[in-house]
Amino acid sequence: MTAEARSRPADAPAQRTPALPGDAGMWVFVLGDMVIFGVYFIVFMVYRGHEQAVFLASQRHLSLASGAVNTLVLLAGSRFAALAVAAARAGDDRRASRLIGWCGICGVAFLLVKAREWYSLVSAGRTVTRNNFYMFYYAFTGVHLFHVLMGLVVLGVMLAELRRPAGRRTWLIEAGAIYWHMVDLLWIILFALLYLMR
Amino acid sequence: MTAASPAVPAVSAGRGGRRLLDLWACWWVFPPFYTLFGIIFVPLTRVMPPPSPAKPTAQIVLFFHAHALTIQIGFSVLMLAIGAGSVLNGLVAYQMRRMTVDPVFAYTYIATLAVGAIPGCLFCAFSFLAATFRPDRDPHLIALCYDLGLLTFVGSLGCFATQYLIFAIAIFLDRNKIFPTWLAYISIWQVVTELVAIPVFIFTGGPFAWNGAISFWEGTALFGVYIACLIMCVRKAIERQQPGERVPG
Repeated sequence: MTAEARSRPADAPAQRTPALPGDAGMWVFVLGDMVIFGVYFIVFMVYRGHEQAVFLASQRHLSLASGAVNTLVLLAGSRFAALAVAAARAGDDRRASRLIGWCGICGVAFLLVKAREWYSLVSAGRTVTRNNFYMFYYAFTGVHLFHVLMGLVVLGVMLAELRRPAGRRTWLIEAGAIYWHMVDLLWIILFALLYLMR
Repeated sequence: MTAASPAVPAVSAGRGGRRLLDLWACWWVFPPFYTLFGIIFVPLTRVMPPPSPAKPTAQIVLFFHAHALTIQIGFSVLMLAIGAGSVLNGLVAYQMRRMTVDPVFAYTYIATLAVGAIPGCLFCAFSFLAATFRPDRDPHLIALCYDLGLLTFVGSLGCFATQYLIFAIAIFLDRNKIFPTWLAYISIWQVVTELVAIPVFIFTGGPFAWNGAISFWEGTALFGVYIACLIMCVRKAIERQQPGERVPG
């Protein structure tokens, strides 16, 4: 499938089948990554079941506003990524590049909000060893942050691809957007589990 | 071996044919090596699954007393067999040299694994061997050997994370398509599993301890999937290789 996808003409929107955007490899990654996170969430729920009072008490010290802002920031990033794909499919590479740039700004904003949140928690003595809730909180948000950082690299690859003078591959732009959507989706689940669930 | 036959046509008498046989000989090191690796680390030395980091000192001493002989047999065999791992890494690096990427990727791959073998495997073996070498040693020193061995075994992160990353990037950039792109993505999962093993240095219990559900079990399951895929993809790469192909050194 990958080889087939790669052998496609650089830009042939009319010939594209809408069945599977991006390339098969990215879908393998996304589905596998979601299984990995799925295991994290199950383990979290098991521990939460044992120590519900501790988890609820600790949860109250998280900044709901920071979590909500980050959710909106990532959702906006996903919207920009989706619009960038539409622009790339339509052959408007300048607009696609600009939209990917906005998506990148959302990614950086997410990092800054998260850094501020961690800083205020650590300053208040709520570190990773405080209790099991914070252990999960830092581990999960840390792994997710790593995904966001990888996402910024992916956006860079997408931008470089759009600047290729010949043979620009639309599927690669789609694959990058799929990755960004996954990062967004995982955050929404994390936000619900860590910040919202009572 | 039979799989090599169709790929070895009339030129097999020449240098190219012999080279494919060389490659297949290297490839066949994979299954016995990983079987032996499993036997050494699971039933013999009891490093996998790792015993609890929360064991009190007395129980750690008992652990080494109970398994001293198998630890000594297992890790002595490992000292002899560990070099076979280099054959496998060499074979992967050789396939990386067939890629269109710069040789620095293959060199980095070899270097990270060569360095990683020390904390990821050998340090653990020597710590456990030292613990069983003098059973009448101070129990706290035996407990120290236990911690050193298991912390390095599960917590050796950087070299392997770099190895997985460099391998994935090489696959992405390669235009010869020596390995499929999905192998690169699976390789990136491995980087993630290395990341979640960071907390093993902090916790003596729970999912992020060295025997934890996330730090150890999930990571090990994914490593099993990764190794199976890697073995399969290297096999396919050799099958597709033309006998006369010139590969830069």
